Amino acid sequence: MALLDIRDLSTSFRTEDGVVKAVQGVNFSVEKGQTLGIVGESGCGKSVTCLTIMGLNPKRNTVSSGEALWKGKDLLTSSPRELREIRGDEISMIFQDPMTSLNPVHTIGRQLVEAVMLHRDVTKRIARARALELLKAVGIPKAENRIDDYPHQFSGGMRQRVMIAMALINDPDLLIADEPTTALDVTTQAQILSLMKRLQEDFGSAIIMITHDLGVVAEIADDVLVMYAANVVEQAEVHDLFNHPQHPYTWGLMGSLPRLDADVERLTQIPGQPPSLLRPPSGCRFHPRCPYVMEVCKTTVPALEPTAHDADHLQKCHLDQETKDREAAKLLAATMAEAG
Amino acid sequence: METAPAANPISGDELLVVENVKKYFPITRGIIFQKEIASVKAVDGVSFSIKPGETLGIVGESGCGKSTLARCIIKLLESTDGKITFEGRDITRLSRPAMRPIRREMTMIFQDPYASLNPRKRVGFIIGEPLEVHGLGSSSEIKRRVQELLEVVGLNPEHYNRFPHEFSGGQRQRIGVARALAVNPKLIVCDEPVSALDVSVQAQILNLLKDLQDDFGLTYIFIAHDLNVVRHISDRVMVMYLGKVAEIASREVLYREPKHPYTGALLSAVPIANPDTGRKREAIVLEGDVPSPVNPPSACNFHPRCPRFVEGHCDVEEPPLYSFGPGHIAACHYALERWPMTASEMRRAGSSTTQEREQSEQLPA
Amino acid sequence: MFRYLVRRILWAMLLFLVITFVTFVIFYVGPNNPARAVCGGEQAKRACLVQATRKLGLNKPMPVQYYRFLKKLVIHQDLGTSFATSQSVNQRIKEAAPVTASLVLGGAVLWMIIGLSVGIFSALKPRSLLDRAAMVFVLIGVSAHPVWIGLIFEYVFGVKLGWTPIANYANFFGAPGDSGLPGGPWQWFYHLILPWCTFALLFAALYVRMIRANVMETLNEDFVRTARAKGAPERQVLISHVLRNALLPVVTMLGMDIGIALGGAIFTETVYQLPGLGQTAIIGISNQDLAIVQGVIVFATVAIIIFNLLVDLLYAWIDPRIRLT
Repeated sequence: MALLDIRDLSTSFRTEDGVVKAVQGVNFSVEKGQTLGIVGESGCGKSVTCLTIMGLNPKRNTVSSGEALWKGKDLLTSSPRELREIRGDEISMIFQDPMTSLNPVHTIGRQLVEAVMLHRDVTKRIARARALELLKAVGIPKAENRIDDYPHQFSGGMRQRVMIAMALINDPDLLIADEPTTALDVTTQAQILSLMKRLQEDFGSAIIMITHDLGVVAEIADDVLVMYAANVVEQAEVHDLFNHPQHPYTWGLMGSLPRLDADVERLTQIPGQPPSLLRPPSGCRFHPRCPYVMEVCKTTVPALEPTAHDADHLQKCHLDQETKDREAAKLLAATMAEAG
Repeated sequence: METAPAANPISGDELLVVENVKKYFPITRGIIFQKEIASVKAVDGVSFSIKPGETLGIVGESGCGKSTLARCIIKLLESTDGKITFEGRDITRLSRPAMRPIRREMTMIFQDPYASLNPRKRVGFIIGEPLEVHGLGSSSEIKRRVQELLEVVGLNPEHYNRFPHEFSGGQRQRIGVARALAVNPKLIVCDEPVSALDVSVQAQILNLLKDLQDDFGLTYIFIAHDLNVVRHISDRVMVMYLGKVAEIASREVLYREPKHPYTGALLSAVPIANPDTGRKREAIVLEGDVPSPVNPPSACNFHPRCPRFVEGHCDVEEPPLYSFGPGHIAACHYALERWPMTASEMRRAGSSTTQEREQSEQLPA
Repeated sequence: MFRYLVRRILWAMLLFLVITFVTFVIFYVGPNNPARAVCGGEQAKRACLVQATRKLGLNKPMPVQYYRFLKKLVIHQDLGTSFATSQSVNQRIKEAAPVTASLVLGGAVLWMIIGLSVGIFSALKPRSLLDRAAMVFVLIGVSAHPVWIGLIFEYVFGVKLGWTPIANYANFFGAPGDSGLPGGPWQWFYHLILPWCTFALLFAALYVRMIRANVMETLNEDFVRTARAKGAPERQVLISHVLRNALLPVVTMLGMDIGIALGGAIFTETVYQLPGLGQTAIIGISNQDLAIVQGVIVFATVAIIIFNLLVDLLYAWIDPRIRLT
């Protein structure tokens, strides 16, 4: 049984302008110790998917449907109390902005101890010892002196380490990381990514890595979901995705990325803007921006189906296999031209 | 020993020459009377030059002084020391009125397309304002020019009367580009123009900037923290660390054979969007954080984090900008012998210093 | 922390000097001759005027007068004597201050109770019935003048319903029937209910609005989401993470508003005929008794400065970001 099994998950928000369908019909599963990357641009629904799993969307205006089976138990129908017991214990989460994700008026020690005591019936002393242990594990120098410091006394990278310590403090089975390195500098990002890899080996947690950066996904993920306008458009094993991308949007993303390992005179840009989720385009949601658009794309929503070559590689596009293979090969040839 | 000037000869046809520019921000303390107790050395002796039509990329992490440097160049900030020469004219200490005609020649594009456009003004006004300020044309001429500019940057000229909030992030950045372009400048300083944008939109803006450069012969200073983006757009790249120049080289050379260990660490830290090549290489992970620019480390300011740090040398003697070939300079006593390198190879500092190597190379000749 | 403390205290002292100086200049250099007031106004006898001028030191140069005034004030805490009644100003203020303090501090407690409870609940359930009712209350509270509200309250609760007294003050200490006037804690409370309600209404309304906005803003903070992601129950999230952050600015506002409230107390004191500082000052003005007016102003200034100092220290204590700079 998969650790987490998401079936036909949809989430919409009621707003003053109408209903925003932020996530529509998402399916995926996460196995023990696996790293799943979810990649897409802002507003594609990658964060909302995870907040829905965690039950952290505002209750007042959110409607979710489908199933989110955690060890066989549906999180969407769980009581707030049951969810609370899972959150921060079995599933934990780190967020994008380390500068605002810690409470400014409490010491980091107090915030870490709180995380332990919410789930473990231990004394404050034991919880504090555990907090110190984790601060050392994530590489905070002189942790015993810094445990009583306030968040503003730490740099961005150090705060993200504290967030990771807090997320791992109860040995979670799944860690959801929502753009954990986006706000950080590149050398700090490298520190955090290598820390996450090392900790995954030590703690054996599964990871869902949400990011807009294909590079981060390529570094850390085992499997990848590509999301566009609330839908999953492609889903594959990471090598498979980068070597045989099957969806025009994935091609667009890869082509629009300036890269260190290849020289391109001109980036292939995706024309236009991501659509509004209040009034999404008919048919395939990518059709207004797609260079390969056909008549059928404007009317019929393509199904998320396996490719002809690989049953585990899913894609949501009407194009025939031949065209896809040709275009993928062309894209690959362009980016690999000067690779080395 | 070859140092900066030889590697960077000033031939006279440079558009902009920056020499030893410093910008210190004072830190004051006191109960009633504020006295200066220290200063933030945001930019600490930076020199470089740009030829017309060239793009110089400036990379570095937050706090390395790249944005402050940009503001000093464009004289939004008064530099503490040094000399800035634009088209052969020393503009370092020019008064506001004297600076005015020069402001037509250099403009700026900002990072945040949301914050840098006045939300209460119409797009036509925002783009046309620099024209009006410099008295370039009657109001109907300005309107025609603005519509032309909108078209040039890929927006609908009929959107002349719209407000910034009616545009998406990418479109707003296009408006920012049009504004910078309005007065026909020679030099545009782009301060992280694409970092707030999504990947697909980022590509649109990068392509637009390249097209405009080809069409109008523009010169860019392109500041970014993303090494991929800088590589894509620049002809030459300058790497900054803690207010100082770590390395300057042409794009091909810098990315192919970096000499400064910091450049190497930066390059190896960039995630590669290819799991086959990306995972094979070993990232050189730097320890710790960038130190405070109030009390920068002695001598080579990178030494506390440097994998090649040699005690008694790097922390005592500040490395000059050694030359490594035409236009390639780097401030390191133990420059990288080759690239790529693994972390452990990098840690083994070269048996000889940069200086010794240079001398031994010169012997046969 | 020490540096912060010293700086705040020095600022407070400077403020004190500036305000006493301005007050002094206005009252002693202004067109009214204090000596005339001492001698009974327009029909003052010449001999009396000469004597009073000498006694008050009015023949000395202005800086000397200010120095004497300040010396008397700082060393002897002496605010002088009333021109009209020859009573010590200190004595008058000593009688009036507890009345105003009861009104303002009691009112502050009342408005904080209303502000916190209504503000927090309407922030937690925006657009609920309570929230909408609270917003109507805010609108009324902000738009209605305390004198008008006082008169309405007096008429409804005092005259029509007869639940409360319509005027006067009762001493907190002092037995009932002691001096013909009622006294004791219960009478004190009983006499002050209506003034408190009147006085607190405006501020309660402002604070409901402010606290509601602060709490709603803090609920959207990333660290609140972090707390929920840790599995903290909603109660704990609210108390430990939301309120502490949301109420930080309220503390500052409270410090500033107490000063404004002291001014607003004049209206309430007038309506309910409470012998507080406001009424003392008004009587002083109508008698051209500048010593009294000046005394009230200096006393109120010092009270506000001290209160603000306390609030600053409290703020530094609860906000670690300030404490360390």
